[in-house]
Amino acid sequence: MRSNRLLPLLAAGALVLSACGGGGESVDTGTGGGGGGGGGGGGTLVAAVSAQPDQFDPHVTTAYPSFQVLENVYDTLVVPNAEDLTMEPSLAESWETSEDQLTWTFALRDGVTFHDGSTFDSADVVYSYRRIIDEQLSNSFRFQNVTAVEAPDPRTVVIRLSQPTPNLLERIGSFKGMAILPENAAEDLDLTTDANGTGPFQLESSDASSTVLTAYADHWGGAPTVDGVEFRYITEPAAALTALQNGEVQWTDNVPPQQIESLGGDDTVELQTTPSVDYWYLSMNYARPPFDNRDVRRAISFAIDREAVAEAAWFGAAQPNQTAIPEDSFFHTDYAPFQPDPDQARQLLEQAGVQTPLTMGLMVTDEFPETVTAAQVIASQLEPIGIDVEIETLDFATWLDRQGQGDFDAFYLGWLGNLDPAAYYQEQHQTDGPNNYQGYSNPQVDQLLQAGATETDEAARKQVYDQAAQIIVDDVSYLYLYNPDVVQAWAPGLSGYQIRADKAINFETVELP
Amino acid sequence: MFGLVHLVPGDPIRLALGTRFDQETYDALRARAGLDQPLVEQFFGWAGRALRGDLGVSFRTGETVTSLISERLPATLTLAVASILVALLIAVPLGTLSALRPRSVVDRVATVLSQIGISVPEFWMAIVLILVFAGTLGWLPSGGYVPLTEDPAGWAQRLLMPAVVTGVVSGSVITRFVRSSVLEALGADHVRTAQAKGLPARQVFTWHVLRNALLPLVTVTGVQLAYLLSGVVVVEIVFSWPGLGQLALQAVQSRDYPVLQGAILLFAVVFLLINLVVDLLYTAIDPRIRR
Repeated sequence: MRSNRLLPLLAAGALVLSACGGGGESVDTGTGGGGGGGGGGGGTLVAAVSAQPDQFDPHVTTAYPSFQVLENVYDTLVVPNAEDLTMEPSLAESWETSEDQLTWTFALRDGVTFHDGSTFDSADVVYSYRRIIDEQLSNSFRFQNVTAVEAPDPRTVVIRLSQPTPNLLERIGSFKGMAILPENAAEDLDLTTDANGTGPFQLESSDASSTVLTAYADHWGGAPTVDGVEFRYITEPAAALTALQNGEVQWTDNVPPQQIESLGGDDTVELQTTPSVDYWYLSMNYARPPFDNRDVRRAISFAIDREAVAEAAWFGAAQPNQTAIPEDSFFHTDYAPFQPDPDQARQLLEQAGVQTPLTMGLMVTDEFPETVTAAQVIASQLEPIGIDVEIETLDFATWLDRQGQGDFDAFYLGWLGNLDPAAYYQEQHQTDGPNNYQGYSNPQVDQLLQAGATETDEAARKQVYDQAAQIIVDDVSYLYLYNPDVVQAWAPGLSGYQIRADKAINFETVELP
Repeated sequence: MFGLVHLVPGDPIRLALGTRFDQETYDALRARAGLDQPLVEQFFGWAGRALRGDLGVSFRTGETVTSLISERLPATLTLAVASILVALLIAVPLGTLSALRPRSVVDRVATVLSQIGISVPEFWMAIVLILVFAGTLGWLPSGGYVPLTEDPAGWAQRLLMPAVVTGVVSGSVITRFVRSSVLEALGADHVRTAQAKGLPARQVFTWHVLRNALLPLVTVTGVQLAYLLSGVVVVEIVFSWPGLGQLALQAVQSRDYPVLQGAILLFAVVFLLINLVVDLLYTAIDPRIRR
């Protein structure tokens, strides 16, 4: 899967959580920090996450476990609101756009300091953005339309564009990969292991067992409530849940999916879910007949019962969806033309003149084990219409290679962490789009996606993407399956924490029970 | 081994970038990692630096391979040694008992137990232990690792479950070797002679049987130790034990060639060293070999 930003990271994926542990003391929690409460301030929160961060350079890493930590250490100019993910001020207090939409001027917040005490100003913003652009780091694509980043005075940053870019705020603020570092940070410190941000917590230490953050008292938004956070890596979900239930940890996003339902009634754990902005889909190779035939793809779309696939993958913790964007989003398109209908599927195959049984390789990766399970359900749904699905389970590296080479009949993957409709549709469905591995090409869609990319009126923009989405769904460029839920759990009584659809994990205002 | 690592399909840069990136970014990163050089050149470069103790820098974390490995070495050593102790504690008494009374109830029970120990998946055993001892009973932490020097009690608590799981598996294998080698020694001519001389049974056993049975035991224990030192991936993952197995697994998954090469080199050296130690032990146990 690709995630927009966090690809492999997320891959690691998994959310889990569990919380539990009423009052828990029981076991000694060992590694400094320890469980909860006590101390002068608000105590240390111990959070169980599923994997170790690969490194801490926000501009270089693409790993979700790194961003779980970095979310609390760095800031961006703007940040998605926890409720509806619209962009709101962070290091930038306000901004305005020129008449021609080609110049954006950001007024920076006053009184912000980095963890080393130095003052934040516009030179830091220019440095950070130039670093991503000039060193061609993994997020440089986000500055595609940017022609200049200027600092006319210490409190002002001007971004100049080559074309109107309605999603500029999303591009520079959707996650901490666009973090603002102090000027010359890459020369002054080893960013892979060290950090110097403006966020609520400072990076204290990190080893093969855990990463420890301490509260930054001079944070511009006020000091965090807890003294610190320890991210402990517990890969096995059953172990993470047990750790939560016996009080070793107070928060986790590593909850065994099969237990989500039963945990709902468990008063030792506070479990919450919310639909995520991720989506999972199946895509067929237009270069491999008969999958270039629209009727064949539509037949397959009619044969698949998305409800059952979502159930197999996430035990119900996922919302079936025939388009990409989840229901809660402003840009959601209410369009679901494919109800499971094997008869219609057979008829379409016949119409396409396809000889059954037809063999279709379906490439999945064990990086996302739930897709391996769900692929079996898809295979069983396609069997009655005469399609023999050969599931190919590959490790992710091989999977990506084959996807890049176009060596597949069909694959099953997801995109993670999208916020803007352009991110949901453009690169995947535009002719020659960088992520259009299936080889889809529809001039009408190209035109709509182009229009959407520069349309600055929100309502008009939504209409454009609604239209594009409907054609993409009808043509089955992607066969959309579901949006999984974000699932997190914590100790009963833990407060001030909000679960978010974009899976950003922010402990700034968390209070221990 | 170098070639093999590189021949596995999968591109570390692609994997690190995911799919949303542009070609310039990809090319820049590839050049930075040295992956645009011919493989032969990459190999000689690596081998030359490795000889000087420089194993390179991880693609994934940006840290040196030597620091990544040395960070995890203590945890792996701890678990391997503890597991071998558990294994021997199980295997020596159990194997000996069943050899002394072949086909008895004790023997059959021991055979069944060791068969179970070999067949039960480590993963399952580990989860059951966690659910019972960390969950239901709440006696032990669910996993993790703390250095002995920081918190001896916490260290021991966390070591117990993983050591038992790996120890049971290794112990089950070793039990069978102990049984057969003790049986063989019991049937040897010199043992009959010793018994005929009227030596006390205890002396016959410790001096004439056990010492002879020790040779195969040392060999198989050495093999098991080498296996444990190369990381027990499943147990490390379930118990959040930060050992080399997890590191090697991550390196394989992300095609982090420098780390993978470093880990394989280390495992090869460990294997050679253990073989050397085993050979030296032979001479200590059996003076005939010295000649």
